[in-house]
Amino acid sequence: MDFDIRRLLDRIRRRRTDTEQNGERSVRTDGGTTTERSGRFSKMRHSDAVQALPFWLPPALLMGLFVYGAISWNLLISLTDWSGLEQPVYTDLSLEMYTQMPNDPSFVAAFRNTVVLLVAFTVVSLLIGLVLAILVDQNIRFENTFRTIYLLPMALSFVVTAIFWSWMYNPSTGTINVVLSGLGLDFLTMNWIGDPRTRLAAIIFALTWQFSGYAMVVYLAGLRAIPDEHYEAAKVDGASSFKMYWRVIVPQLSTATTSAAVVLMVFALKAFDFIFVMFGDTPGRSADILAVMMFRVAFSRTQWAYGAAVATILFLMALAVVGPYLYMQYKRGDL
Amino acid sequence: MANRRSATRRQYLLATGAAGAAALAGCVDDEDPEDVEGNGDGDGLEIVHWWTAGGEEEAFNALVDGFEEETDYEANPNPAPGGAGTAIDTEVQTRVLDEDPPGTFQIWPGEALRTYTDADALEPVGDHWEDGAEDAYLESVVEASSPEGEIVAVPINIHRLNNIFYNTEVLDDAGVDIDGIESPEDLLEAFETADDAGYVGLAQQTQEPWGTLQLWEVVFTGQHGVDTFQQFLDGEAADLEEEINESLSLLEEYSEYFNEDAGTVSWDEANAGVITGDAAFHHNGDWAAGEYQGAEDFEYGEEWDYAAFPGTDGVYTLVMDSFVMPANNPSPEATEAFVEYCSTVDAQERFNPPKGSIPPRTDVPTDEFPPFLQDQMEDFEASDEQVTSVSHGSGLEPAQASEVEEAFAVFTDNWDPDETTQDLVGIF
Repeated sequence: MDFDIRRLLDRIRRRRTDTEQNGERSVRTDGGTTTERSGRFSKMRHSDAVQALPFWLPPALLMGLFVYGAISWNLLISLTDWSGLEQPVYTDLSLEMYTQMPNDPSFVAAFRNTVVLLVAFTVVSLLIGLVLAILVDQNIRFENTFRTIYLLPMALSFVVTAIFWSWMYNPSTGTINVVLSGLGLDFLTMNWIGDPRTRLAAIIFALTWQFSGYAMVVYLAGLRAIPDEHYEAAKVDGASSFKMYWRVIVPQLSTATTSAAVVLMVFALKAFDFIFVMFGDTPGRSADILAVMMFRVAFSRTQWAYGAAVATILFLMALAVVGPYLYMQYKRGDL
Repeated sequence: MANRRSATRRQYLLATGAAGAAALAGCVDDEDPEDVEGNGDGDGLEIVHWWTAGGEEEAFNALVDGFEEETDYEANPNPAPGGAGTAIDTEVQTRVLDEDPPGTFQIWPGEALRTYTDADALEPVGDHWEDGAEDAYLESVVEASSPEGEIVAVPINIHRLNNIFYNTEVLDDAGVDIDGIESPEDLLEAFETADDAGYVGLAQQTQEPWGTLQLWEVVFTGQHGVDTFQQFLDGEAADLEEEINESLSLLEEYSEYFNEDAGTVSWDEANAGVITGDAAFHHNGDWAAGEYQGAEDFEYGEEWDYAAFPGTDGVYTLVMDSFVMPANNPSPEATEAFVEYCSTVDAQERFNPPKGSIPPRTDVPTDEFPPFLQDQMEDFEASDEQVTSVSHGSGLEPAQASEVEEAFAVFTDNWDPDETTQDLVGIF
C-alpha cells in the first residue's frame, strides 16, 4: 500500500517535470504518455532480466508447472473432500481435513514418530559422523578404505537395508542379540522390531548406521578446510585434544553441520521405503510416519483429500527444515 | 555488435519456444482417438498384474500362453508387483482417474471392486463369460463378482484361508491328536501341549498386521460361525462386541505360543519352522502349501498335512483373484476375449496348478492338480458355506479394510482385546 502511494507520487512528480521542461507535450495529452511508455519499454528491453529471458523462462515455467504447480494443486485438493475414483469437486473448499487431524490418533502417532525420527536420527547421525571424521582425519593408515567402508551403506537402497536389518534384529537368530548374549549381556537382548517400545529406536539406529557415513564425509571436508595453524596454535596454548576440538575446531564446522543436517532431515522425512518394506503400509502406531500414512490414506483408502492434507503437513515440515538454511545462505550472500 | 547479440538471443528464444511447443504437442498427441484405439488393439491387451514371483509367475505365463493360443489376440503383460497389492492400486487407480485405464487388471473380487463400481469405472462382463460358465461357479463366487448386482469381474482362482497346517511328526511326538481338535479353544490346548514338548505352538508372523487379522477372521468364524462373521462384514460390529472381544482374547492367548521372532519375520520365514520341525502348526491361506511342496523330503500326508481351521468344517473362506473390464477401455474386443477365456475350463486348468489354488469352476478335471489341491477342490465342492475375507480384500471395502488392518496393527502392539474391540466397532 505504502509502496503504491510512493510510486504514484513519483509518477506525478516526474510528469510535472516533463510538463515544465516541454510545454508542447502538456497540450497533447496522449503524446506525453506515449513517449514516456516507449522510453520505459526500451529501458525494460535492455534490462538484464529481460535479455536473459530465453534462458530462465523455460526452466522457470517447467519448474513452476511441475513443482510449484503440483504443490499448489496438492494444497487445493487437501481443501476439498475428494475420495474415491470420481473427479474432485473444487466448489466447496474447507479446512476440514486439517481440523480432523488432531482428533485422529493415527495422525497424532505418525506426526509424533516423524518428529522423533527427524530429530533423533539427525542428531545421532551428526554426532557419529563427527566422531568418525575426527578419527579418520588423524592421518591413519588405510584412510581411504575406512572412508569407503563408512560411506558404503549409504549407497544401498532402503529395500536392501530394511530386509537386512530385519534379519539383524531377529530376536532368536539375529546378529544383534547373538552378539549381545555372546558378550554376556543377555539382559540387553530384546525383541527389537517386535516390541513396540523399541521399534522406533531400532529403526532410527538402522537409519543412523546407513547415513552417519554421509555426515562423516561432509565433516571430513570441513576439517580439511581448517588450516593446520589452528591446531598448532591450540596445542601451543596447551589445550588438550578434547578442548582443542571442542573450542577451536568444532565451532568452525557450523557450515558443514548445517548442510549435513538439512540433507539428513530431508532423508528422515523420506524414510518411507525403509518402513514400508518392513511393515507394509500399516506399520502400527509405534512406527507409523507421515510419509507412510499419506500413502496408506491416499492409495489404500482412496481418501485423496486427507492424503493431500498429510502431504501438505509433510511439505511444511520439509519447508521448516530447508527454509532457515536457505535464508541463512541468502543472508550470507551465497544464494 | 549489440544488434547481432540480441538477434542471437531471439533465435535462442525461438528455438526454445519451438522445442517447448513440440514437447507440448507430444503430450497432447495421445488424445487422438484413432491413436488410442490403434495402441490398444495393435500392441495387444495390456494386463496389469502382480504375479511376478515363483509359481505365480509360472501360472500367469501359462494363462497368457493359453489366451494367445486360443484367441487371435496378443497379450501385453504389465506387472506392478509389491506391497501385497498396494503397488497395483497406485498404478491402476491413477490411470483410471486419468481415464487411461489398462485393458484389464487383476483385482480381488467382492468389496475391493466397490472403489471402481462406485465410480462406474467397470463395464459389466457377465455376457462375456463363456456360455454356461456361470452354472459351473458356486453362487457365492458369482455374488462376489457382482457387488452392485451386475457381474463386473471374472474370478480365475480361489485360495482357502481357513486352513491349519501341521507337521505330523511334531504332532505325534508332542502327543497331539488332530482329530480331537474341534474348536479354536481346543487348538489353544494343542499349542500348550506342543509347547510343553519343546515346540513352537503356532508359526506366525506379526510384522505386518494382515497375518494377525486373517488369524482373527478364522478364529472368529470358528467360534461364532459364518453368519456372525457375515454380520461383522455387513457392518454390525456394534452388536457383536462380546463375540469380538472373546475371539480377540483367545488370540491374545494364542500369541503366547507364537515363535519368538514373529514380529521380525515374513510368513514364509515363520512357516519354515513347520518344515524344519521346530513348529507344530501354521495358519495361512493354502499358498503356504507351496512352501511345503518345494521342500525336500516333506511329503503331503506323510510329513505335513492340513485340516480345516477348528470350528470351520464345511466352511470355505475365499481368497480370490479376478480380472475386470475397465470403462473407457483401450482394447474392448481383446478384453472381452480375455474375460471369456478366463471363464473357461482351459484357462483355469492351466493357471491354478502352478498357482497353488483351485479353480472357481467346479467342473475342471482334477488330474492336473497335486493331491493337496485335489483334496481342497473336494472340500470346496462339498462346502456348505463360503465367506469372503477382510485381510484379502473381498470382505470389506478398501477404506474400511485398511482401518481394520490398522486396528490389528495396534492389537499386535498391545494385545489389548478391549481397546481393539472398541477400535473395530468404531470403524463402522
